[in-house]
Amino acid sequence: MIKPSKKLNLRRYLLDASCFGFLILIAVFAIFQPSDEIWRNLSLIFGGLLAALLMGAAGSYLLEKLNVETLGSVIFPDRIQSLSALNKRFPRFWLVQLFLFLIVTFVVGAIKTKASFTELFDEDGFNGAVRLFAGLLSPNMDVLPKALVNIIETVFMAFMATALAIPFAFVLSFLCARNIMKHPAAFAVYMFLRTGLNITRSIEALIWAIIFSVWVGIGPFAGMMALMIHSIASLAKQYSEMVESISEGPIEGIQSTGANVLQTIWFAVVPQVILPYISFTVYRWDINVRMATIIGLVGGGGIGTMLIQYQGQAMWPEVGCIILVIAVVVWMMDQASAYIREALK
Amino acid sequence: MDDIQLKISNLNKVYDNGVHALKNVSFNVKKGEFLVVIGLSGSGKSTLLRCINHLHAPTSGQILFENRDITHLSSSEIRGLRKEIGMIFQHFNLIPRHSVLSNVLMGALGRTGTLNSIFKFFSESDRKRALECLNLVGIREKAAIRADQLSGGQQQRVAIARALLQGPKILLADEPVASLDPATCHSVMDYLRKINQELGITIVCNLHFLSLVRQYATRVIALRNGELVFEGSPQNIDESWFRKIYGESAKEVHIN
Ligand SMILES: Nc1ncnc2c1ncn2[C@@H]1O[C@H](COP(=O)(O)OP(=O)(O)OP(=O)(O)O)[C@@H](O)[C@H]1O
Ligand SMILES: [Mg+2]
Repeated sequence: MIKPSKKLNLRRYLLDASCFGFLILIAVFAIFQPSDEIWRNLSLIFGGLLAALLMGAAGSYLLEKLNVETLGSVIFPDRIQSLSALNKRFPRFWLVQLFLFLIVTFVVGAIKTKASFTELFDEDGFNGAVRLFAGLLSPNMDVLPKALVNIIETVFMAFMATALAIPFAFVLSFLCARNIMKHPAAFAVYMFLRTGLNITRSIEALIWAIIFSVWVGIGPFAGMMALMIHSIASLAKQYSEMVESISEGPIEGIQSTGANVLQTIWFAVVPQVILPYISFTVYRWDINVRMATIIGLVGGGGIGTMLIQYQGQAMWPEVGCIILVIAVVVWMMDQASAYIREALK
Repeated sequence: MDDIQLKISNLNKVYDNGVHALKNVSFNVKKGEFLVVIGLSGSGKSTLLRCINHLHAPTSGQILFENRDITHLSSSEIRGLRKEIGMIFQHFNLIPRHSVLSNVLMGALGRTGTLNSIFKFFSESDRKRALECLNLVGIREKAAIRADQLSGGQQQRVAIARALLQGPKILLADEPVASLDPATCHSVMDYLRKINQELGITIVCNLHFLSLVRQYATRVIALRNGELVFEGSPQNIDESWFRKIYGESAKEVHIN
């Protein structure tokens, strides 16, 4: 038998403690049914969470001492246990734990999302849905010209956002690549830019669109700016990862012929990154067309704005036509970008 | 003395991370010789070659190349120096997506303007010489093929042709055959000997296998932990020297 390791298995404790702590919290809520007042008391909330976690950890520790197989020990096994050492009174404890956890989560989830069969099959609502689908399925082609004009606006919005993002992302990609920014001063720039880009990227394009629709006014320009900011951050990250993964060999090979910096970048770095760059960019345009549609919903212009107007007036046949146009264009973009990326491999 | 091409005195190299890779290394390279550098992995062979063409900057000491002090140079002087010093590598370091001919033409980058080279406007004489260089290493018929479609031995010959197009006075070879099989390995070494003997280009070459050293080297130096521990003819490396260079427990491996 292999000697059990003395090292504390943190991941196991974390998983078990969260699981037990969650169950404990739910039980407390179910039993005491506290009023909504407690959500105002931050320290009480955090205190409660901590207490539950600690109790969960204690439970986990106890179970480990009893040699019971918990979920944590199954997912993160830390030692070879001989079967005889396992507690026989609670075989497959982890299965019970898993099912309990899943069932409780589903029940709580159902309550929280107010899932209701009565509403799903409520006659009034149901008839409304039927009317909506009937409208969608018999699209009113009268709005087709307007929809086409708008989707062209959306595609161009996405195109401009992508195209304008490329030069920024290209320059940033070198400044955000560890293997280029080795010098201590350069490393500070690297850290600064990297953090900035991470923050920028973690703000959804939708939020940027809201910001810019206030800043430059509702319309395609706001949508374009939002997409551009988001594209710069995303492309710069993908590009810089490419630059980080290039091999040094060709660079030294070219350098040793007496080539200058630009020649070295052109002949040794660019060939290594150009295809992935194009591939990422085409994919980004594809993503931007979809995002541009959504952004239109919050005032970014294009087909999204048109969609929200007709939807607001419950003009379902017109909405059906718009959705059809969106579906066809997104599908075409998807196919085209997949084809281009495949061809570049 | 006129026939000394490269004079290295008290050369030291300390890397940024504090590794002292070369310690007071001194030796001369004569015009037209085939000097082989041996030593265990990590003994500083690559560092030595890279200090000569400034892929790494020497820390202290002196390097004289044709009586010119090249120890500390500006970046444009480094480029000038590299035009006269060819280098080939263990992993060939070609541009995989480019054709063989285009790879060879990169040997002319040093004397071609940036824009001209980017748009592939190499001079007519360079194009002609590139084909001659390919001919010299026996793969002229592969000129139009992409470099990554060649075998390892062929790629190394392309690398030799690229270095030859520079018109170098000296060729540095960092373990040129370490990733090749024994048969191919001899063919590449034979081409190196050919350009050494027929074109009179001095060669400084790192090698791992002593049997190859005995076959090709006109002179040998050995490094151990960054120090020069042997300098002489390959015939003089006997059992006791071998132990001194490679450690007490080492055994010689033959490759034929
Ligand atoms: N770029 C670098 N930065 C820091 N240390 C390095 C660098 N390159 C090499 N070294 C260190 O310098 C020492 C000599 O390395 P070098 O590559 O010159 O040895 P070598 O004789 O060529 O070995 P090998 O046969 O493995 O190629 C080693 O200890 C190595 O770790
Ligand atoms: Mg080496």
